[in-house]
Amino acid sequence: MLKYVARRILMLIPVLLGVTFIVFSLMYITPGDPAKLVLGDTATEEALEEYREEQGLNDPFLVRYGNYMKNLLLHGDIGTSYATKKPVIQEISECFPATVRLALSAMLVAVVLGIPIGIISAVRQYSIFDMVSMGFALIGISMPVFWLGLLLILFFSVQLKILPSSGYDTFAHMILPAIALGAQSVAVITRMTRSSMLEVINKDYIRTARAKGQKELSVIIKHALGNALIPIITSVGLQFGGLLGGAVLTESIFSIPGIGRLMVDSIKMRDYPVVQGGVLIIAIAFCFVNLFVDLLYAFVDPRIKAQYK
Amino acid sequence: MNKKKLLALALSTVMAVTMLAGCGGSGSSEDSTGAAAEGSGSGQDTLTVAMSSDATSLDPVAVNNVYSSNIMQQMYSTLVNLDEDGNVVPNLAESYEVSDDGLTYTFKLKQGVKFHNGDEMKASDVVFSLKRAQAAAAVSHIFGDIDPDSFETPDDYTVTFKTNVANTGFIFGLAHTGGGIVSEKVVTEAGDNYTNEPIGTGPFKFVSWSKNDTIELERFDDYFGEAPVLKTMTFKIITEATNRAIELESGGVDMAFDISTNDISRVEENSELQLVRMVDNQTTFFAFNCEKEPFNDQRVRQAIAYAIDTTGVVDAVWRGVGQAAVGPIAPNVKYFDDSLTAHEYNVEKAKELLAEAGYENGFTFTISTNERQERIDMATIIQSQLKEVGITAEIEVLEWGALLEKAGNREQDVMMAGWTCQTPDPDMAVYAPFHSQKNGQVGNNYANFGSETVDALLEQGRTTVDSDEREQIYHDIQAAINEECPWVYLNNGEVVVGAKANLTGFTPTPYGYHSLYNISFK
Repeated sequence: MLKYVARRILMLIPVLLGVTFIVFSLMYITPGDPAKLVLGDTATEEALEEYREEQGLNDPFLVRYGNYMKNLLLHGDIGTSYATKKPVIQEISECFPATVRLALSAMLVAVVLGIPIGIISAVRQYSIFDMVSMGFALIGISMPVFWLGLLLILFFSVQLKILPSSGYDTFAHMILPAIALGAQSVAVITRMTRSSMLEVINKDYIRTARAKGQKELSVIIKHALGNALIPIITSVGLQFGGLLGGAVLTESIFSIPGIGRLMVDSIKMRDYPVVQGGVLIIAIAFCFVNLFVDLLYAFVDPRIKAQYK
Repeated sequence: MNKKKLLALALSTVMAVTMLAGCGGSGSSEDSTGAAAEGSGSGQDTLTVAMSSDATSLDPVAVNNVYSSNIMQQMYSTLVNLDEDGNVVPNLAESYEVSDDGLTYTFKLKQGVKFHNGDEMKASDVVFSLKRAQAAAAVSHIFGDIDPDSFETPDDYTVTFKTNVANTGFIFGLAHTGGGIVSEKVVTEAGDNYTNEPIGTGPFKFVSWSKNDTIELERFDDYFGEAPVLKTMTFKIITEATNRAIELESGGVDMAFDISTNDISRVEENSELQLVRMVDNQTTFFAFNCEKEPFNDQRVRQAIAYAIDTTGVVDAVWRGVGQAAVGPIAPNVKYFDDSLTAHEYNVEKAKELLAEAGYENGFTFTISTNERQERIDMATIIQSQLKEVGITAEIEVLEWGALLEKAGNREQDVMMAGWTCQTPDPDMAVYAPFHSQKNGQVGNNYANFGSETVDALLEQGRTTVDSDEREQIYHDIQAAINEECPWVYLNNGEVVVGAKANLTGFTPTPYGYHSLYNISFK
């Protein structure tokens, strides 16, 4: 098992090299001059040129990429923001906690609602409950987050005045963003749970369990859900990984200073170091979430565990 | 059973982490409902302001944007200030003198002015600050003309320096936040970290800054000027326009900048709120690339101007915010020619001019603009109006950086964007966007316009001292530019600020950043 983990972590290296190269190339070919964006379009040509020289923006692509990788690999330094002159790692570490908090809250909503609703829908297939919940799932997937977010704010903050509409400091602040952002994940997880449960629910071993006289709840939870969990875990993992990359719209609507807004602002400013550093950190986080999901498989399914050598 | 326990454990861990994270809080930002409760009574001494974007730096010379300036305006003092009518009044300076040739500036400083760390401000700090401003790229268009080797300090309270060229508008620039006086000692010691621990001589001092979230300031009790009533100021970054209005309504903030056209009526109709408005110094322009065919022909430019119903476009898109622009100088800038009216909308004349220029069958060109919705909407209406005269306009929406790059390469047909005059003096309104030496590649003349007459007038306007003669020069400039038509002027923007009805002492400026330290609550 440990060997497997070590191997997976080693495999991160080529992935991250690829990520840095792709992001670096994309930023390079994107039109837009960081000097003009950071200093403003009123800056004089001499000032702009001096800035480009100072930041190495006049160097050829490979020299810039080489310098970046040298600092990254030798000093673990991912650079300094053009716009704020703060170390990129500080910029990101100021934003990441808000993103993690938002992602966790949204996933909590998604898992707590999605899995039970999916199970009940599968067990009572074609019942009223099933149809209503699948209807809501369809709405959940189709509803844009900025619209749902504004509706929630209008209802809970403006009409009822019971929840704050912006910020992220307290539990109350997180409720609306978590619902808005989690709604889509609820829908995805509900549907995934339902279809995955439906696949196993007619299997022979379920009939056997029932025949043994097991209680229905135990049959559903232990025998059916246990075997249906793999795709559910996969989709939860993917959703969570995606959310860690930042949820720009939710962050903007609820004024949460997360990594999504940092990235969008930095792309607009052509703040290359922050964009590169941000993508790197997001990629690492995503890889670790995937690794965690893969390890979770082993605990859920002994057959998979046997393969982790 | 093991699996289930593990799953339960995993889930409960996730839940616990979320709860902890949810309850932890950074402690740096104010609970919005708490602020509401506090705000309801009189005698309130805290101000919470919603801004649409975060500051990028709190170092006066590092950046030039209204979001940063709005914070710095409260923290730093400048040698001179502008009064409500845009006149220069001494501030950190007790008095000042400009030599007859307009090149030498002498400032007598107030004594006993303290920085936020308790040190006294001396002439050496002023020299240090202005030298930094002169060398700083972000504000070099305002301070770049200072000769850095010319500074003299006969004593601790006198500063003299020269500028490389005479420019009557220069003194106004000294009131820009880029001219905020910093402490030589603090800046030198802090190095690159200065923006995290900024220190000025202004009425409010820096407390904390949580990126994209809040900035907190606190009253500086040794401020040299009149002591503010407010004790603390909190700036909350709320990017969504609707949300800023909602926060204002629900009492989460006392004041909100950039109220959008859609939200104006809800603020106006709410008896607990007030709306403060002022036409600002931004002009949205439709700039022809005068180097490129067919726009190198003045008749084509004029024809398009005749074919655009500016007032109709502005009314449809802005619905009463701001006004149709009538010239290159915005109405609140000095020497604005108030006899100007919106240009004539005349389709027949447009067709005639096009025929004269040999384009009776029209042509196709591209309007390049950035992703601001109002600009896209204006471009769309203009597109349909131009169809009337047989011209096909395509609209290209670029992200700001890409638009600037295109203009820098002088590749665009027509660029639609905005130009803001950051001082009350007209030099900044017209010199950079219309002088032939400032073409899109090296400056802000995105029309790549060049006219000997206009160049000569612009130089003359710079060097003439304020007088009727100078007024005439700027009137001539406006007339000449209107005649040659490098821009179709679309609209002047408007500062729209929402505030609680019991808030007093706020006067907006047309530059987009405002002094908030005189605010109090009835």
